[in-house]
Amino acid sequence: MDELDLLKKDWKKRSADYPQVSYNEIYKMIHKKSSSIVKWIFIISIAELLFWTLIDFLAPESVYKIYEKFNLNSLLYISLTVNYVITILFIYLFYKNYKSICIADDTSLLMKKIIKTRKTVNYYVFYNIALYIIILIVFNIVMFSKPDILIEFMNPNNKPIDNDKLLLITLILQIVFGVLMLGVIWLYYRIIYGILLRRLTKNYKELENMEF
Amino acid sequence: MNKEIEHKFISEFEQHQNIIHKVCRIYTTNQEAHNDLFQEITIQLWKAYPKFRGDSKLSTWMYRIGLNTAITLYRKSKRSVQTQDFESVLHKIEATNYDNTEEEQLKLMYKAIHQLSDIEKALIFLYLEDKNYKEIAETLGISEVNARVKMNRIKTRLKTILNP
Repeated sequence: MDELDLLKKDWKKRSADYPQVSYNEIYKMIHKKSSSIVKWIFIISIAELLFWTLIDFLAPESVYKIYEKFNLNSLLYISLTVNYVITILFIYLFYKNYKSICIADDTSLLMKKIIKTRKTVNYYVFYNIALYIIILIVFNIVMFSKPDILIEFMNPNNKPIDNDKLLLITLILQIVFGVLMLGVIWLYYRIIYGILLRRLTKNYKELENMEF
Repeated sequence: MNKEIEHKFISEFEQHQNIIHKVCRIYTTNQEAHNDLFQEITIQLWKAYPKFRGDSKLSTWMYRIGLNTAITLYRKSKRSVQTQDFESVLHKIEATNYDNTEEEQLKLMYKAIHQLSDIEKALIFLYLEDKNYKEIAETLGISEVNARVKMNRIKTRLKTILNP
């Protein structure tokens, strides 16, 4: 007999041997919480959307004071308004993609939809990082082009400090802080992806490759 | 959700539960992981049940959701490493039914199957369940030709493992 026929015969024979789960046990099971990755992607995504939206509200008052000094307020408000519109758009897209996920789809389509949903949130995060970098660069250019006002702001009591040094330290601190923040965000995404999507992405690629 | 639907689902599921046991058998290697995956698939089936229109057979629908959960939604539990090997338990129980060479061959086969990728496991599982290529292609979302090509490769691989 062919080995595969032997396997099939054995497989069928064993099919009748599984210990059966009772009605009550099934009842209990369906009232338990799912631990599926789609659920986790949903929770994490909502948390991220909230985080990046809230971060604007959490900025301390002093940040706005410095913008006032440089007449950057109107620019700031325009960018905030645009930001809200884009945020709402992203939330809508995320919700639409999430709702389209259907476990009864074929495997390839299901994976495509999960990856698309996750990508929406990633784009939102990239958008926020890009915005953050652009604002940081523009504002720094404006601030450093008017060093007198900046020195006045950084040294309000006019203590005897070397002004050039003060400017240099400010600049270095801004860069270090910016790079550090990007590093933390990058690490966070590596971990989230590593945990949740590595297996799914691998399987999706395998199916995709099969089609060529 | 109302009790009537719940009762209908549980009764139907109870009758067809072997489909899910078999999915778990392909994708896990010990009892604890088997139970974990079984539970997750049950939840997914229940969540999807209100949308089940009956235009396909319930069993077809269960195959699909079972495999989808195993391949895309489920994360392997870390706990599963320490527990006893499910395969060896099953073999101990049924060892008496086979002569030695057949038993050895089967052992090797199941071991080889567990080393396949998730997608390959899905293909071999559907083959063992006597699904035709059209059904296999539809379940996985690939073309029939590719399902056939890939299946032949897996079969050849399994045979080579046994006859090096």
